[in-house]
Amino acid sequence: MPRTLVVIGHGMVGHRLAERLLALDTEAAWRVVILAEEPDPAYDRVGLSSYLDGKSKPDLILAGPDFLNDPRVDLRLSCPAVAADRTTRTVGTADGDLIPYDALVLATGSRPFVPPVPGHDRAGCFVYRTFDDLDAIRAAARPGRPGVVIGGGLLGLEAANALRLLGMRAHVVETAPHLMPAQLDPGAARVLHHHVTDLGLRLHLGTATASVDGYPDGSVSGVTLGDGTVVEADVVVFAAGIRPRDELATVLALERGERGGFAVSDRCRTADPHVWAVGECASVEGRCHGLVAPGYRMAESVARQLLGQKVEPFDGTDPTTTLKLMGVNVATFGATRHGEDGAVEAVFSEGTARYAKVLLGPDTGEILGGILAGHTGSPMALAPFLGTRPPADLERLLLPGRPA
Amino acid sequence: MNDVVIIGNGPAAHRLAERLRHHGHEAGLTLLGEEPEPAYHRTLLPHYAAGSLARPSLHLPPVPGARVHLGTVVTAIDRERQRVYAYRHGIETVHRYDTLVLATGARPDVPDVPGLREPGGGPAPGVTTLRTTADCDRMNGGSVVVLGGEPLGVEAASALAARGNGVTLVCPGAHPLHDRVDDVCGGMLTARLEAAGVTVLGAATAVRRTPGHLELSDGTTLSADTVVLCAGVTPDTRLARAAGLDVGAGIVVDDRLRTSDPSIHALGDCAQFDGQTLIGISGAHEQADTLARILTGRPAVHRRVPRILRVRSRAADLSCIGSPADFDRPGTRQITLTDRTRLRYARVAVRDEHVTAAVLFGVPQAIATIGMLHRSDRRLPGDLLGLLLDLPPRPASDSAGASADPVVCLCNHVTRQRLHRAWQDGARTVPALASGTRATTGCGGCGQAVEELCGQWARGTRDLVEETCPALSS
Ligand SMILES: Cc1cc2nc3c(=O)[nH]c(=O)nc-3n(C[C@H](O)[C@H](O)[C@H](O)COP(=O)(O)OP(=O)(O)OC[C@H]3O[C@@H](n4cnc5c(N)ncnc54)[C@H](O)[C@@H]3O)c2cc1C
Ligand SMILES: Cc1cc2nc3c(=O)[nH]c(=O)nc-3n(C[C@H](O)[C@H](O)[C@H](O)COP(=O)(O)OP(=O)(O)OC[C@H]3O[C@@H](n4cnc5c(N)ncnc54)[C@H](O)[C@@H]3O)c2cc1C
Repeated sequence: MPRTLVVIGHGMVGHRLAERLLALDTEAAWRVVILAEEPDPAYDRVGLSSYLDGKSKPDLILAGPDFLNDPRVDLRLSCPAVAADRTTRTVGTADGDLIPYDALVLATGSRPFVPPVPGHDRAGCFVYRTFDDLDAIRAAARPGRPGVVIGGGLLGLEAANALRLLGMRAHVVETAPHLMPAQLDPGAARVLHHHVTDLGLRLHLGTATASVDGYPDGSVSGVTLGDGTVVEADVVVFAAGIRPRDELATVLALERGERGGFAVSDRCRTADPHVWAVGECASVEGRCHGLVAPGYRMAESVARQLLGQKVEPFDGTDPTTTLKLMGVNVATFGATRHGEDGAVEAVFSEGTARYAKVLLGPDTGEILGGILAGHTGSPMALAPFLGTRPPADLERLLLPGRPA
Repeated sequence: MNDVVIIGNGPAAHRLAERLRHHGHEAGLTLLGEEPEPAYHRTLLPHYAAGSLARPSLHLPPVPGARVHLGTVVTAIDRERQRVYAYRHGIETVHRYDTLVLATGARPDVPDVPGLREPGGGPAPGVTTLRTTADCDRMNGGSVVVLGGEPLGVEAASALAARGNGVTLVCPGAHPLHDRVDDVCGGMLTARLEAAGVTVLGAATAVRRTPGHLELSDGTTLSADTVVLCAGVTPDTRLARAAGLDVGAGIVVDDRLRTSDPSIHALGDCAQFDGQTLIGISGAHEQADTLARILTGRPAVHRRVPRILRVRSRAADLSCIGSPADFDRPGTRQITLTDRTRLRYARVAVRDEHVTAAVLFGVPQAIATIGMLHRSDRRLPGDLLGLLLDLPPRPASDSAGASADPVVCLCNHVTRQRLHRAWQDGARTVPALASGTRATTGCGGCGQAVEELCGQWARGTRDLVEETCPALSS
């Protein structure tokens, strides 16, 4: 009799976990029940924007027929988990089912954060995370009309590009003085600014959103910024960050991390040996991870542990991240911020076309990390030099395509 | 005969006289200098003012065969009769010339602030400019306030602080050298000055002086036994103007350093060539060398000199090449280095492997090398970072200690070697490699890298991989 794994959430990481477990579980020790809140099986959320750029749902769905037809899989769509009891080891669904588990994995992801500005819930306000969100935006979009995205991070730029693809004139409002403040420094952001404004985005930087304004019928008419500027808009998209979906921590009586998320160890275990958390909802030793690569590493780790294999502790440092925003490559590798010890900063740049910053150790000059934007060398080409002295041709690795 | 008379006995005049003798000038050679002091190194004055250099050690060696009249003020030029009129101790002297050279230099500006000026326009007692030994002798002990955020102000403040008195540097910009360096470098400069004992007050100007006190635009009042004015200089064109020569900001000269009168030349701080004035000490020396060749019948022309500003003081070692606008010219590449721990800064603009502009602070080796390459119009080394940071020679990327098997797809942890094995097993396209190894199926960020590898393997040109993407080749 196989044991039952219940996975709550069929997003990118929950799916990867189930898939890896089934692949590694050659002795059929487990069956997997997946409770999915969304009506579609797991899809490529990273590529979500392409849904407005020619791709269909089936193009983006991650679960193939092999997975869906696997007799060990019981995937329940539109069936969120709403209750759970750790003493009886059962999960209750919205349909009223009670499902017993031997192991429970929480993979509930994140929800968009909507700042509580006046008018944030008017008709015409959206978030940007699911197929449903994008269907709603598509239905509301009117070509030639203005739309405002609140938040100039990764998601905000994806959303702004989506509005652009729908024919709207997109504005982006960002409180920080430049786009993508979490990943980029002002120099790298300058490359991005130049490129996206060329593509028609209008940027409002260093200013907060004071209110979302409406017509008498209540629908959105525009946005008033902190400096008093009024930007007309038919559509407002909030992309002002995400928060881990940890509502079930209360019913499960599990601890939360300091900034939310299910508190887990470096092996993704909660305080209960039968309950795990992976992906964006997991607060691994106090820190949540908002990108897919660390989530996949968590999924692999838990799949192996469920099969009794030994695993290395989760390493939250990503050697590199690469993002492509509206055709501009931006990437980071290693450390990108100055520590207390004051790294030496070396920047190689060419106008607004490309920018590469490298941080070097203050004493020995070893490469600690860096930020790349525009037509630079690949971060993969640089990652191998982390911790070593810069090679003599570092500049050529960073800004290739010029005579040595 | 070609009797040469030089008006002025500053560094430019002295160098010209010395070079004329060197090149065999045998005719008369007369220098008429207003200062009572024999010719001296003007650039070393701050150290004299600070008491760290004795007066005689400032002096330039006398030029054999030159007749030098000290304390002699030239008051007029008679171009028709080729004479100059001068006064010494109230007695007029007349000097005939075949060739006349104006080397009258520049005069320091005295800002029009109540209490700083005498009715005649000169500095009031307790106030001094910093241009001559006599100026330095006007400084009292006690507290010193230096006005001006330009190089001279920085050098003066830094040198005077060595005397151990309180020295305050008041500059109109947010930090010293505000027109030349950005806030990061300006911050480091300020930190160095403060460490050397200078109190730096930015974004402030003097509004009033009373004996012993100086009131600033921000309302503060400083104790100031001596106020040192370093608020800029103006080329001294008075004689030239009175003689009817072409004068702009300076005395206009052509590429043979000739004024609008072919028998009158000008050089140094008083001259203007191709729109450039006040080209500094090394520019004055270069012009003197050129003019000496011209006057002794040798082929020589004067060219625009590369403008290198150098501030070398106890507190700060700084060099600026070109102007701030040169950094933003299209087609330039920039390298910027910031070391907040050791207070080192460098910003270099490069075009066609030549430096077009630079700001260098606290990197003496790079200041020397880059300045030399710029003056001689030579290419920069490939390892500019190594030069700026004074790093030992290091291997290039293909032989450096890089990991032999780098991870290409981070989301799924697929290494280059694994991709290569899959490729050898028949996965010859990106989709085939993707389904075989999962590479590119995470965030997709490695798509380009996998495509490149795939293409390079397909062409069977491993060497190319080594060359273009060293880190990706094992
Ligand atoms: C537009 C966009 C672009 C992105 N681009 C990138 C990128 O370039 N690179 C990158 O690394 N990352 C990117 N991300 C982030 C990446 O998509 C996430 O890190 C990843 O999807 C996290 O996976 P997850 O499984 O933890 O959460 P999710 O994918 O959010 O999945 C969680 C699932 O759980 C469901 N769920 C929640 N609660 C319950 C419940 N009680 N019962 C049942 N189901 C529940 C949710 O409905 C959801 O379907 C992007 C995200 C978006 C939205
Ligand atoms: C304190 C200080 C530090 C400096 N540091 C630097 C530095 O680090 N780098 C740099 O590049 N530059 C520096 N300079 C500037 C540099 O000294 C000048 O560029 C240089 O002195 C110019 O030489 P000059 O002979 O053309 O003019 P001056 O040195 O000004 O000499 C002109 C001489 O002509 C005399 N004169 C004028 N009119 C008459 C007249 N009618 N009759 C008789 N004599 C007359 C004057 O009295 C004066 O002695 C510094 C200047 C000062 C004051």
